[in-house]
Amino acid sequence: MLEGLALLGDGVAHFLTWQSLFNVLWATLLGIIIGLLPGLTATMGVALLVTLTYPMAPDQAILSLMCIYVGAIYGGSRTAILLAIPGTPASAATTLDGHPLALSGKGGLAMGLATTSSALGTLVGIVCLALLAPLLTEAALNFGSYEFFWLALFGVVISGRLTAFDDPIKGYVAGLLGLLVAMIGMEGLHGFRRFTFGVPALGGGIDLIPAMVGAFGLAEILVVMKRRVSAHIIDASDRVVPRIKDVWKYRRTTVRSGIIGTFVGIVPGVGEDIGAWGSYAAAKRKSAEADRFGKGSLEGLIAAETGNSAAIPGSMIPTLTLALPGSAAAAVLIAAMYIHGIRPGPMLMVENAPFLYKVVAMLALATLAILVLGLLLTRVLLRVMTVPRERLMPVVYVLCVVGSFAIAQRMFDVYVMLAFGIIGFFLREMRYPMAPLVMGIILGTLLDVNLRRGLALSNGDLTPFFTRPVSAVICGLVVLSILFSIPVIQRLVTRLFIKDRGPQTGGG
Amino acid sequence: MSRESPDPSAPPGAGGPVPDQPPEAEGDGAHMVRADLLTGVVLLVLGVAVVWMSWEMPRLEVRRIHPATVPGLVPGLLGIALALCGAILAARSVRVAGDGAGWRRFGAGFVTSQAARVAVTMALALGYALVLVGWLPFWAASAVFVFVFIVLFERVFAPSPHPLWRTALTAAVQAVIVGVAVSVVFETGFLVRLP
Repeated sequence: MLEGLALLGDGVAHFLTWQSLFNVLWATLLGIIIGLLPGLTATMGVALLVTLTYPMAPDQAILSLMCIYVGAIYGGSRTAILLAIPGTPASAATTLDGHPLALSGKGGLAMGLATTSSALGTLVGIVCLALLAPLLTEAALNFGSYEFFWLALFGVVISGRLTAFDDPIKGYVAGLLGLLVAMIGMEGLHGFRRFTFGVPALGGGIDLIPAMVGAFGLAEILVVMKRRVSAHIIDASDRVVPRIKDVWKYRRTTVRSGIIGTFVGIVPGVGEDIGAWGSYAAAKRKSAEADRFGKGSLEGLIAAETGNSAAIPGSMIPTLTLALPGSAAAAVLIAAMYIHGIRPGPMLMVENAPFLYKVVAMLALATLAILVLGLLLTRVLLRVMTVPRERLMPVVYVLCVVGSFAIAQRMFDVYVMLAFGIIGFFLREMRYPMAPLVMGIILGTLLDVNLRRGLALSNGDLTPFFTRPVSAVICGLVVLSILFSIPVIQRLVTRLFIKDRGPQTGGG
Repeated sequence: MSRESPDPSAPPGAGGPVPDQPPEAEGDGAHMVRADLLTGVVLLVLGVAVVWMSWEMPRLEVRRIHPATVPGLVPGLLGIALALCGAILAARSVRVAGDGAGWRRFGAGFVTSQAARVAVTMALALGYALVLVGWLPFWAASAVFVFVFIVLFERVFAPSPHPLWRTALTAAVQAVIVGVAVSVVFETGFLVRLP
């Protein structure tokens, strides 16, 4: 514990240089702007900026990317409040109460509380990250091929189940497509080239970054350009810096939402948007003024903004300890870490223990930066929001092309970006979620290699996959989440549940 | 993994409201059922193709690898799962009443003004990345793309367009600035080679 505190102190001290603070400032501001602009998401921002941070020192690069991530998730709230369009999917829940507040002339208050809630949410998440990650690492050091196979499968399945809009099967299909994409190229056990169809460039497999730039960049541009009209901004001229008593009044909601957000963040491939919806729903259930929710409730706004920001440090927990991305943006961060020679996973604490605490320090600095920038730069940020998409999107697309080309300096990656962009757009239109696709691409190799390695170790025997305690638990979770997405079983369970409660409700 | 337990309680509340999608009244009616039928069939075919390719994949017997570690194992399993999902998706869509209206609405989705906007964006994006880049120097290619994009969307698709000279002038200025700035910043600032 003391050792951890010392490492944490080192982590913070490490970034107290002018260069780091400069990086924190520009990256967080850029993140907020990316979040503000509808059509630019956190995942896309991080994916595009991997190229920019390529020449930087590893910890400065990850620091900048982390600040962009935190800034973008926060920045989306501004648009949600003033335009009723979520700047990023993560702030969809914020629109429900944020926009009514702005309509009733409390836009400034809403923006201020969104800022403090985001900061407090990240703080709750940071505490959980610092406490839980070392414990999880210790447990993960005992994991073998069997456990990692199940973890990879669990990541794809749970992400498919929870991020699907209305139909779990579409989530699973997206996950399977991602896993199949990961099968392309040389496999890890015998060096055999699969599904290359004689194309030499496919031998190395599909890189995650160009794929993400396509699926989150080009596809998003197409979605934005499809829309006909843009909404108008509501003027907010009231006080932005919130009063301490307003923040204090909702302390319970803040802590609860922070914890829910963090745990949703921990679930692989389930990120900030679900974190926000989860804490929003919980706050509504617990609230004394539940009827105000959706009509401009401060509590609802606080719950949503705390929940989505807390999911960021939460998502870093499995990302750092298991190399299992906690969200789509975290998947890009994993790719960026590999580029910079940092290997997340159980061995991280052995090989590079200070890095975990550096991440904690990065998140803390980013939190401070959104607090300062968010409360000071209201007018400037308002002007950014008015940039018309016709002027913005072509520039973003030019950056998508540069971003996907620059990493390996080959046109092949631009073609990958185009393919993922166009296919991703159609999948989105048919309401397939993108997060499981990303999870599939990044976890495919882990799943493939560990299943076959496990089978080789057990000489083709499947039992260790089911009898080792941790394997059995994760396997159970996978089976349960698949079973529960089958309507017949869902109905059966609901009926059982209602039958049990039936007499009570009748009597009461 | 017991700490995962709070999470299953979150999604039901989370699944209710629809995130991510713009609040447009499009509805998921009959045309989505048709779209699901088509994708279901495509996924089924893709899944079967993957299974077949995985089956045909070399088993590397000469290298004496363990028979449970053949390269085609995991892709084959994934192919089976994909085919299964495709079949379920297609079967479910067939069961829903199949009159002509669904297909008509599905087809109508491709001839709206929204579809036109998407098609133009897609064509511009492809034209820029596949033709212009490589044919012109990068800065010029980007400038042409940005200029054409802005003029098309601000003149043709805008409800109340500005005069042409004004749009063209401001678009040209922006296009040149973007083309030159991106080239200079990336090549000298970040030391990356451009396409």
